Amino acid sequence: MSLGGLGRPALVAAFFLMALAVGFSLWGALRRKNAAAEAGRRALTAGAGFVGVAGLALVSALFAHDFSLEYVTNYSSRALSRGYTMAALWGGMEGSLLFWTVLLTLFAALALRRPGGTTSMRGWATVVLSGISLFFLLLLLFPANPFRVLADVPADGNGLNPLLQSPGMLIHPPLLYTGFVAFSVPFAFGMAALATKRLDGNWLKQTRRWTLFAWSALSIGIVLGGAWAYTELGWGGYWAWDPVENASFMPWLTATAYLHSVVIQEKRGMFKVWNLSLILATYVLAVFGTFLTRSGILSSIHTFTEGPIGRWFLPFLAAMLIGGLAMIASRLDALKSKNSFDSLLSRESAFLANNVLFLAAAFAVLWGTIYPILMEAVSGVRVAVGPPFFNSVFIPIGLALIGLTGLGPLIAWRRMNKKAFFRMVRVPLIAGAVAVVAPAAAGVRSTGALIAFALCAFTFTAIIGEFVRGSRVHRSREQLGWASALGRALMRNRRRYGGYVVHLGVVLIVLGFAGSAFRVERSAHLAQGQAMQVGDYTLRYERLTRGDTPEKQIFQANISASRGGEVVETLEPQRNLHKVQQQFQSEVAIATGPVEDLYVVVTAIDPDGAASVRAFVNPLTWWIWMGAALMAVGMSVLLSERPARPAPAPAPAPVRRPAVAAR
Amino acid sequence: MKHLSVALFLMLAIAAPAIAAPEDMANDIAAEIMSPYCPGVTLHDCPSAEADQLRARITGWAEAGWSKARIMAQLESEFGSTIRATPTPEGGGLTAWALPLLAVLLGSLLAALLARRWTEASDGERQLGATATAADAVTMTAEDRRRLDAELGVLRSGG
Repeated sequence: MSLGGLGRPALVAAFFLMALAVGFSLWGALRRKNAAAEAGRRALTAGAGFVGVAGLALVSALFAHDFSLEYVTNYSSRALSRGYTMAALWGGMEGSLLFWTVLLTLFAALALRRPGGTTSMRGWATVVLSGISLFFLLLLLFPANPFRVLADVPADGNGLNPLLQSPGMLIHPPLLYTGFVAFSVPFAFGMAALATKRLDGNWLKQTRRWTLFAWSALSIGIVLGGAWAYTELGWGGYWAWDPVENASFMPWLTATAYLHSVVIQEKRGMFKVWNLSLILATYVLAVFGTFLTRSGILSSIHTFTEGPIGRWFLPFLAAMLIGGLAMIASRLDALKSKNSFDSLLSRESAFLANNVLFLAAAFAVLWGTIYPILMEAVSGVRVAVGPPFFNSVFIPIGLALIGLTGLGPLIAWRRMNKKAFFRMVRVPLIAGAVAVVAPAAAGVRSTGALIAFALCAFTFTAIIGEFVRGSRVHRSREQLGWASALGRALMRNRRRYGGYVVHLGVVLIVLGFAGSAFRVERSAHLAQGQAMQVGDYTLRYERLTRGDTPEKQIFQANISASRGGEVVETLEPQRNLHKVQQQFQSEVAIATGPVEDLYVVVTAIDPDGAASVRAFVNPLTWWIWMGAALMAVGMSVLLSERPARPAPAPAPAPVRRPAVAAR
Repeated sequence: MKHLSVALFLMLAIAAPAIAAPEDMANDIAAEIMSPYCPGVTLHDCPSAEADQLRARITGWAEAGWSKARIMAQLESEFGSTIRATPTPEGGGLTAWALPLLAVLLGSLLAALLARRWTEASDGERQLGATATAADAVTMTAEDRRRLDAELGVLRSGG
C-alpha cells in the first residue's frame, strides 16, 4: 500500500512548523528568552519529523509502484530492482531535493538536541537552520513538488536512467548530499557566533565533529563518484572535470582549507575572519553545486533533470552570500585578532600557504565552471572549458599542495632554525630524489609524472617519519613493541595521527593520478575469433553470449587477455538493451591490480556479433581506491576523537528592555 | 643539496616525451575537443556510436600522417571553433587563463606580505620582551636539555 497521499500534507505541516521555529527562535535569540528558543528548537524537531514522514511517503510510493504520482512514473518501473527503486529517490530533481531536506532537518534536529552554549547562540543557530529548511520546503511545495498527481495513471513507469543503475549510485549521491547538507551545521553556528558576538573558538569546538563528518562524507562521496564513472561510463577514466563533479569539488576544497585554518585559530587565536569566510564560502558553494546540478544551467551528462528552480535558488544564494558577508563585515572589530608569526619558517606559515593554494584551486575550478555561462551572457557565444583547461590550471596547484602536505609536519610550530629544518627534510628529500632517478633510469619520460612521484615519495616518507618518531617515544617510555607503540601514539593523539593517515591516503590517490600519464588506449572492431593489441596484452574476442532479464537484454562478449603468449585474464564486458528506455548501455569489465588495470568496454555490437571494443591499460589506478580506503580509516580515527567541551557561557548581560515592556 | 637539486632538475628537463603513435595522438586530440554528440563531454569520454566514428576518422587522419595542427584545423572547419575544449588564450579567452594565474600570484603575494608583517610585529615584541627578561635568563645544563627534549617528544606524540 502506498503512503504517497501523506506526502504533501506532511510537507505543509513541516513548512508551518519551520516558520514557527524561525519565529520562536528569533524571539528567543533577540530577547534571550530560553523558553522561546526551546519552543523554536522543538518546532524544528517536529518539522523534521514531518519531513521524515514525507520522505517515507515517497519511498513507500516508489516501492508500491504508485504511478499516480508523476515522480514515481518518471523515475521507476515495475521491473526495477529493489535497490535501484530506492535509488530513484535521488534519481530525479524533486526526490533529490526531498532527500536533501530530510537530511537537513534531521541534522539540524540532531545538532540542536543537546542544550549547550548560550540561549541566544542556540537560538540564532536554530533561526539559520530552520530558515534554510523553510527555503527547501518552499521548493518542495511549489516548483519541485515530488507528490504531483497525474490525471491519467499509467500501467508502468519510465524506469531509472540506466546510467544510474549501478551499485555506486546507491551510496555516492547520499554521501555527497550528506556532506553538502552537514556543512549547514557549522555554517549555522558560525553565523550564530557572529550574531551573538561570541567569536572565541567555542563555535569551532561545538561544530568540529559536524565539520569532520561533512568533510568525510563529501570526500568519500567524491571518490565513489569517480569509482562510478570509472566502472560505469566506459571511457577509462574517473574524473572528467564535469561541472557537476566540479560542484562537489569546490566546497571540498574550501572545506579542506577551513579544516586546516581552524587549527591556527585554536592554537594561536588567529584567522577568525578567515575561518568564518571559509565556512560561508563552503556552504554557499555546496548550495551553488545543487543549483548547478538541478537548475539545468549547464549541460552535463549528470544533469539528468532540468527544472524551473533556478530562479528560486539565485535569490537564496545571494541572500546567504550577501547576508553572511554583511554579518562578517559588521563584526570586523570584534573579530580582530593579534596576528603574529614568530618566524617565516614555521608551521603557521605552512598552513597559510596551504590555505592560499586551496583557495586558488577553488577559484580556478569555480572560474572554469562558470566561465562558459559568463561568456554566453556577455558575448552570446558559448565556449567550452573542458578537462585540458582544468588539468593545466589545477595540477600545478595540486602538486604544490602535495609537497606542502609533506613539508608541514616537518616544520615546528612558532619557529624552527634552518639547521633543524634541513635535518628533518633530509630523508624525505632523498626518497623524493630516488623516486625521480629510479623511474627515469627505467625509461619513464613524463616530466609531470616524475614530479608527482618525487612529491609523493617526499610526503610519504615525511609522514612515515612522523609515525616513527611518535612510536619511538612510546616504545622507549613504555617498553612496547613497534606495533603497540604505533597504536598507542595513534590513539593518544587521534587528531594528529588521524590527519596523517588521511594525508597518506591522499598521497596514494595522487600516485594513482600520476599513473594516468602512462595510460595506453586502443580501439578495434572485432569479429568473433579476432584479436587486438593494447600495451603488452593481446585481447581475443572469443564469443558472444546472449541473455535476458525482465529489465534488459544482455549481450556479453567473452574476451581473453594474454601476455607473453599466456592467457592471464578472461574479461566479460556487456552491451545491454534496457527494455523500458529502449537504450543501450555498456557494462565495463576490469581486471584490476596494484600495477595496472586492464579495462575493456564494448561500445557496439553488430547483428552478426562483431563488436567495437575499446581497451585501456591504466597503470596505478588501483592506488586511488586504496588511498580512498586509507583516507576513510583516517577519518574514522579523527571522528573517534572525544569531542572538545566548549567553554562555559559567560553570565548573560542584562537585557535592555524597551520602555513599553518595562511599564 | 645544491648538486642534488641540479641533477634532479636536469633529469626532469631531459625527460621529454617519446614520439606518440598515431592512435595515441588521436586519443590526445579526442581528449582536447568537445564531443559534438554528447553535450559537455569531450570526444574521448563520449560513449555514442557517432563519437566512435569520429574517433576512428581522427585515428585514420593520424595514421595518414596528418599533423595534430592539421587535424585540429580540419575539426574546426567541420564543427566550428567551439569544438575546442579550452578557450584560446587570446581576446576574451585570455581572461579564462589569466584569472586563475593572477589568483595564485596575488594570493601568494598577499600571504607573503602578511606573513612578513606578522613576523616583524612578533620580532618587535620579542625584542621588548628580551630586554625585560634578560635578567631572569637561566643557563640550561646538558642533562636539563636532554630531559626537556624527552618531555617535548612525549608531548608531540600525544602521550
